Amino acid sequence: MFEEKLKEFEPIFYPKSIAVVGASAASTKAGSVWVSSLKSAGFPGIIYPVSSGGGRIADLEILPNLRLVPGEVDYVIVSVPRHSVLELLDDCVAKNVKAVQFFTAGFSEMDTQQGRKLEEQMLEKARQGNMRIIGPNCIGVYCPEHRIPFPMGTPGESGPVGFVSQSGGIATKLVTIGMTRHINYSKGVSFGNGIDLDASDFLQYLAADPKTKVIGAYLEGTRDGARLFSTMKQIAKTKPLVVWKGGRTEAGAQAAMSHTGSLVSSAAIWSSMLKQAGAITVRSLEELTDTLLVFQQLGHGQGTRAAIIGGLADGGGGNSVAAGDACMENGLKIPPLSFETKQKLIELVGEVGSILRNPVDVSQAQFRGLSTLFQAIDLIVRDAASDIVLLQEDVEILLPIYSRKGLEEINEFLIELARRQNKPIIVVLPPGSVEVERLEIEQILLAASIPVFCSMERAAEAIYKLDQYSRWQEAKQSQSQKT
Amino acid sequence: MVKNQNFLTEVESKQLLEKAGIPVVEAKLARSKKEAISMSREMGFPVVLKISSPNVVHKSDSGGVELGLTNATQVGKAYGQIMSSVKQAYPEAQIDGVSIQTMAPPGVEVIVGMSKDPQFGPVLMFGLGGILVEVLKDVSFRIVPVTERDAHEMIKEIKGYPVLEGYRGQKPASIPALEKLIVKVSQFIENNPQIKELDLNPVFAYPDKAVAVDARIILE
Repeated sequence: MFEEKLKEFEPIFYPKSIAVVGASAASTKAGSVWVSSLKSAGFPGIIYPVSSGGGRIADLEILPNLRLVPGEVDYVIVSVPRHSVLELLDDCVAKNVKAVQFFTAGFSEMDTQQGRKLEEQMLEKARQGNMRIIGPNCIGVYCPEHRIPFPMGTPGESGPVGFVSQSGGIATKLVTIGMTRHINYSKGVSFGNGIDLDASDFLQYLAADPKTKVIGAYLEGTRDGARLFSTMKQIAKTKPLVVWKGGRTEAGAQAAMSHTGSLVSSAAIWSSMLKQAGAITVRSLEELTDTLLVFQQLGHGQGTRAAIIGGLADGGGGNSVAAGDACMENGLKIPPLSFETKQKLIELVGEVGSILRNPVDVSQAQFRGLSTLFQAIDLIVRDAASDIVLLQEDVEILLPIYSRKGLEEINEFLIELARRQNKPIIVVLPPGSVEVERLEIEQILLAASIPVFCSMERAAEAIYKLDQYSRWQEAKQSQSQKT
Repeated sequence: MVKNQNFLTEVESKQLLEKAGIPVVEAKLARSKKEAISMSREMGFPVVLKISSPNVVHKSDSGGVELGLTNATQVGKAYGQIMSSVKQAYPEAQIDGVSIQTMAPPGVEVIVGMSKDPQFGPVLMFGLGGILVEVLKDVSFRIVPVTERDAHEMIKEIKGYPVLEGYRGQKPASIPALEKLIVKVSQFIENNPQIKELDLNPVFAYPDKAVAVDARIILE
C-alpha cells in the first residue's frame, strides 16, 4: 500500500545532505540550533549551514548562498524571514533540491490575504521545480534511525511507532514522553500549515514504511477531508492508527441540516469519520501516548478478561475495589478466579484479610515472605479465566515493608514472569511520596517491555482500545475473505 | 416562508427516491378539491393531505397537514382548511395544490438525513424521530459512501437503540431494512452530487420493512 511513497520520501527521512538556511554564527538563531542539533545527534550525511553573514558554526563553514553549496542538496531547512522565502525557493530549484521544510512562520495561520498569497506563490514555485514543501510554520522531520532530531532535542531510540502532528509543540512532547516511557519512534513529522505535503501524504508514507507498525496522529484540520478519510480507511486495515483530533473547526451554515441543523457540529463529524475509517480515537496527549505504548508493547489485543492484583501489601483492599471499578468502567471484564486457583491461594495466604475472587488482594503474603508473594502472583497469572493481568505496585507502601532490595526482587520476578509465559502483565505504579524510587522502577519495567501506567483507569482504557482494534481488524479481514 | 426554487416538493422528492429503490409512501399531487377526492378514492382511505408549495417548509406549523381522513367528505373539508390556513400564514406563497398519500400504519419513527460538510462532503445522519433527535440530539453520522457495516454501526450507535428493539408492546423495527435504506440513500447521494440536502422525516420502521413517509430534497 502506497509503496511509491517510500522512494518519493527517501530524501525527506533519509537525506544524504541537509542545508540549513538561516544558520548564522550566532548560536541562538533557530537555524543555528538546527545545525548544532544535527551535528551533535551524529547525522550521517553532510550538513551545509547557509547564511549571508558567513563565518563558522559547529565546526562547519557557513556558506553565503545556497547556490554556492559544492555538492548536491536533498533537503533544506529554512529559517529566514518570510519576505525572502520566494527568492530562496528559486535557489532551491536551481540546486535541484528534493524537499524544503519551512520553519519560517507568518503565512495563512495569520489569516491574512498576504499570508495566503505567499503560500500560493511558494507552492507554484515548488510545483514548477518538482520539489516538495513541508510546512511552513513547522519543525519538520524526526528520524532517530537517520539521526535527525527535532531542534534542541536529541534522537531517542528507534522503534515501531510513527507519528504525524500538525503542531510542533505536540510533536516535541511526543518525542520527549516517548523517551521517558520507552515509546520508540520509527519517524515522526510536524507539518504545520501543510500547504503541499499534509497529513494524508505522511500517513501514506508511514503506512508503506516497513519500520512503522503503529501510527499516531495529532490533527487540527484538513484541507482535503475526502482524501484524509479514504487514506485513513485504507491504512487502518493494516496498521493501527491512533488519532487525537485537537480543536474545533467551523461547522458552517452549509453543514446544517434543514430540520436538525443545530445538531451537526464539525466535532461530531470528525469523530464519526475517524470511527468509520477504523481509526482509534483519543482525546489527549496522555491517552495518545498510553495507547501507542500498549500497541508497541503488546502488538495485538489478547482479550479483555483481566485478572487484577489490587494489593501486594497493606491497603490492598480499597485499592482492589477501586481497581475493579476502573477496569469495568473502561470496558474490561473481571471474571472470578477458578475454584482451583482460589483454593491454592487460601492455602498460600489465608482467607482472613484477603480478597480471593477478582480483583485479588494478596497483601497477607507480606507476613509470609516474598516467595509466598511470588507463588501467589504466579498462580493468578496462570489462572485460565483471564487473558491479561493488571498488577498494582504501590511503591510507597512496598518500600518500608520490603526495603529497596525486596522491591528489586519483586520487579526482577515480574520481569522473569512476563518472559516465561505468554499472558501480558501490565503494571500500575501510582504516584505517591517516593517518586524517585517509583520512576526508577518504571524505567526498569519499561526497559523489559512491561507496559507501565500511573493509574488503573489509564491502563484499562489503553488495553480496551488495543483489544477493540484487534477485534475490528479481525472482523474486517473475515468480511473481506467472504466477499 | 422560504423563497427557494431549489426545494423539490414532497411529490417530486419521493418520485426520485422511489426510482432509486428507496421505499417511500407514494404521494400524488392534486391541484383541486375534486382531484383530491378522486385521488383519495383511488388510493384508498384513510389518507393524508399536505400542502404542496416550494415556499412552505414547515408544513404542519402552518396548518398545512391533515391526517387520518377516512372518507370523501373529510377530504373535501380538509382541502379547504389547508388552503385557507396556508394562505393566511403565507399570503405570497406559490401553492401547487396538495399531496395525497395513504395514511401509513404506525411504526417506529426514525429520521435519515444528508447534509454536506465543508471538509468531508456528504454526511448521512440517523436518529430516532421526535423528542430524541430534537431535544437529546441522539443522532449518529457517517460519511458517504456508507457501507452496510457502517449503517449497522450507525444505527446501533444511538442511545435510543433499544427503542428499535421494541418496548412496551411496540413491535421491533427491522434493523436490516433500515440498513438497506441507509445504504440506498448513500448510493442515491453518490449518484446525484447536485443534491445539497435530503431529509427523510419521518421514516416508519416496521418489523419487516422501513418506508419514508415524508421526504424533502434541496438542490445546490
